[in-house]
Amino acid sequence: MLVRDIMRSPAVAISADTMLQDAYRTMQERGIRHLPVVEGEKLVGVITDRDLRLATSALAPSPFPPGSRVSEVMTREPLTAEASDPVEDAARTMRERKIGCLPILDDGRVIGIVTGLDLLDALIRMTGVDKPSGRLEVRLPDHPGELARLTGFLSHRDLNVHSILTYPDGPDSVRTVLRIGSMEIRLLAEELRRAGFDVLWPPEKPCPR
Amino acid sequence: MPSVIYAPAYRKYSFGDEHPFSPVRTDMVLDLLGALGHRVETVEPEPATREDLLDVHEDAYVCRVEKLSAGAPVPDGQEYGLGTQDTPSFPGMDEAARWLVGGTLHGARLISEGRERRVLQLGGGLHHARRSVASGFCIYNDLAIAINSLTRNGLKVAYLDIDVHHGDGVQQILYEDPRVLTVSLHESGKYLFPGTGEIRELGSGAGRGLKLNLPLEPFTEGESYLEVLEQVTPAALRHFRPDVLVVQAGADAHFDDPLSDLMLTTRDYEAIFRRILAWADDFTAGRVLFTLGGGYSFRAAPRVWAILYLVMHDLPVVRDLPESWRKKWNGALDPKLPETFHDPNPSHADISNRYEIAHRNRQVAERLLDLTRQYWFQK
Repeated sequence: MLVRDIMRSPAVAISADTMLQDAYRTMQERGIRHLPVVEGEKLVGVITDRDLRLATSALAPSPFPPGSRVSEVMTREPLTAEASDPVEDAARTMRERKIGCLPILDDGRVIGIVTGLDLLDALIRMTGVDKPSGRLEVRLPDHPGELARLTGFLSHRDLNVHSILTYPDGPDSVRTVLRIGSMEIRLLAEELRRAGFDVLWPPEKPCPR
Repeated sequence: MPSVIYAPAYRKYSFGDEHPFSPVRTDMVLDLLGALGHRVETVEPEPATREDLLDVHEDAYVCRVEKLSAGAPVPDGQEYGLGTQDTPSFPGMDEAARWLVGGTLHGARLISEGRERRVLQLGGGLHHARRSVASGFCIYNDLAIAINSLTRNGLKVAYLDIDVHHGDGVQQILYEDPRVLTVSLHESGKYLFPGTGEIRELGSGAGRGLKLNLPLEPFTEGESYLEVLEQVTPAALRHFRPDVLVVQAGADAHFDDPLSDLMLTTRDYEAIFRRILAWADDFTAGRVLFTLGGGYSFRAAPRVWAILYLVMHDLPVVRDLPESWRKKWNGALDPKLPETFHDPNPSHADISNRYEIAHRNRQVAERLLDLTRQYWFQK
């Protein structure tokens, strides 16, 4: 999944000489919290609702008046990303630098924006269900060919995998969560166990007395 | 006396000997009731007509089922959910599926014409079928077709789905319909097929707040199940004031079911059926139509559905299963059929985190009621 698949485009941007009160109104009207700041087509900063609130707070040593310019308060030279970046790179940047948005640039021009909420949407999409399917979770050795062994097992049974998510589970293993278009995941799990797979879901049922 | 609807032609709805949705299960129910000395009088329906199907299904979909049914190739069948691992195609599938629809529809007509209050359709309950997609062993949606027939006759319908899988097809087809309340209890879609049935799926348009889902934790036991059923269903019925109940009585929430993870016992099912009949008396002047549904344990499903028959007829559930019946059907079953009608108590090994499971189910039920109340009491 790439940034272009989840970014909001076009982004609402404002110019550096906008007054704080007008930036605030734009955020309120649009229901957004992050605004790229531009001079002509060039990105010069980012201003957030938090920047505005802190800058104008009565608790600040010398609060900015509402008529101040955005350029006085904004974050300069903000971090950016490109539309072709993988979503996880954008997420890592935002997490490591503890920031809420990334303007998306193309040839130095702002073409979109990604916020924390867009990343949550991406997570929901990646883990979500939009076709009738059941869950299968398998722990695989972290070796070449293991995932292929699992998917090969499924394809021989004519089963359709709607989504697949794999992440590191331990030093030598990965956990793979699949959504498969079948009612008969439990029966499949039994077959997989017999074939030596470490099936985590569905688990074996407590045995009848 | 309740009407029991059944036709030998229901047996033709079969995806092959290896497939879980086996007509043998109904054979076992009828044979068990006979072995107990009950003379089961059944009403034979007509198969549904093509016209009946088009009330709910797209013409393009029905055409493809008909073609496959006649043995003709349908290159894009998979796009319609046909010829898949779950729902393979077979010769005569169109007619076989129309028989099941016809049975449920006949039950609906008996009720809307005022000829019957309690009806048991010994088949059907194909709640996964979509307008133009077969899914999860279901070709035509007999329930949605029968419910539409009831609402066309001016009846408000409360649909209760106790199959362990979410009743996604029925919900989707009736999602905007203000004359139909749907309540589905199922193992959470986070784990089990079909994946939907979250509490936020509340209906849309005029149907908003009338489609209710109670996704339950894996390994939920009967006590917790009955608690949340009681928490939600009477409240919804009191608000909606239906004229008739339609119940999809899948038996696959039983602990012995091979396809899913809930832990109900036959005693829990008996309690559930008694509660539903009491609600029918309280809210719909006794009008209730039961269908079968999922239920893939040969040891459990026939007993659950025989209990449904007995409870509906105010007959006792005796202690022992008839020896002759067990001999006849034990066949290759491993383990064998139990000796008693009800499951032993305790019936299965302890669920270590049962209190946590019950707690989470309770919270889900509370959140569901919180979400629906804003729609129920906004006027």
